[in-house]
Amino acid sequence: MHNRPIRLLAAPLLSLVVLVALAGPASASGESVGGCMAERFAEAVEAAHGDIEHAAHDEAVQKQLEKCFEAPSPILPETNEIIWGGGAFLVLFVLMVKKGYPAVQGAMEARADRIRADLDEADQAKLDAQSVKSDYEARLGDARTEASRMIDEARGDAEKVRADLIARAEADAAGIRERAAAESEAAKAQAIADLRSEVAAIALGAAERVVQSSLDADVHGNLIDAYIDEVAGANG
Amino acid sequence: MADAAVTGYAEALFAVASAEGDLSAVEDELFSFAQAFRSNDELRSTLADGNVPAARRLQVVDDLLDGRASATTSALVAMVVATGRAAELPAIVDAFIEHSAASRNKAVATVRSAVALTADQSDRLAAAIRTSTGKDVEIRVVEDPSVLGGVVTEIGDDIIDGSVRRRLNQLRESFR
Repeated sequence: MHNRPIRLLAAPLLSLVVLVALAGPASASGESVGGCMAERFAEAVEAAHGDIEHAAHDEAVQKQLEKCFEAPSPILPETNEIIWGGGAFLVLFVLMVKKGYPAVQGAMEARADRIRADLDEADQAKLDAQSVKSDYEARLGDARTEASRMIDEARGDAEKVRADLIARAEADAAGIRERAAAESEAAKAQAIADLRSEVAAIALGAAERVVQSSLDADVHGNLIDAYIDEVAGANG
Repeated sequence: MADAAVTGYAEALFAVASAEGDLSAVEDELFSFAQAFRSNDELRSTLADGNVPAARRLQVVDDLLDGRASATTSALVAMVVATGRAAELPAIVDAFIEHSAASRNKAVATVRSAVALTADQSDRLAAAIRTSTGKDVEIRVVEDPSVLGGVVTEIGDDIIDGSVRRRLNQLRESFR
């Protein structure tokens, strides 16, 4: 991943190096005015077969020397520069077409692929998340249903327990009432029986005392005689 | 009613009394002693208690009967007490009297009354019983204050109750 920027930078760097290297010969043609004049004057002397005087006064030579004072055109380069520059451009262009463009295109495609893959991944993650979310929602729904069911069930159970307790309490209360009534009735009957027994005992005690006090010798004799008559009369 | 031992003792008493020739007096004395024995808890528990030495029990009998009963009666009671049959003495005496009466072709009527019957009343009662049941009876009177008044007659298992006590009991039942 890290070498991709380096590869992208490699093409312009290479172009710059080539440009600098090829610029050297171009600028070599732009030599100094003195050098130019000396070179041209030497060429004129040689053309005049060594006659320096002639050469120095020849107008054609002077015009040639004056040309050395003319500045180069600010727009049009020297012919040799055009040639070198064009060559360098061509070389650079070919290099860019052959090497730089595929590299850049590859990097772009790789990047596009990666982005696409990332997008796909993101879509997939989103789908997964939605699936998980729907799953959670379904589970949440189930849990709510279950909780609701449990609450209803607990409520039903509680209602049943309450009804049972009330029924039992009512039964107990009824039993207690019945027992209390029965005990009360029994106590009443017992009290009446006790009272009757007491009254009878008192009455009998009184009767016995009356009988005893009234039993004198005559009465005893009469009772015995009456008994004898009774036995005699009973024809058993 | 009476088991073999009671019957055996009764017959022995009868044989001895008959041999001694004072059967009637022995009957009366034994009957009186049996009544005293029945009604006196202390006497009964002393004579029937096996833990009291025999000599002490015989001494009690001797003290009680000395001068009040014939020698035969004393000897017979002493025999029953000495053999440890004191608890069965009343039953033995009853059996003896019945046996004795039976020897004269009579039954025994035990009469309970609050007061003693006169001889006339006894005779009339015996006659009345004969009329009513067809049995010749000898009257044995037991004075029992709990009867209050009137008479209760027992002949064997038959009871003729004409007592004031029975009437009071009937009154008590009617209250329930």
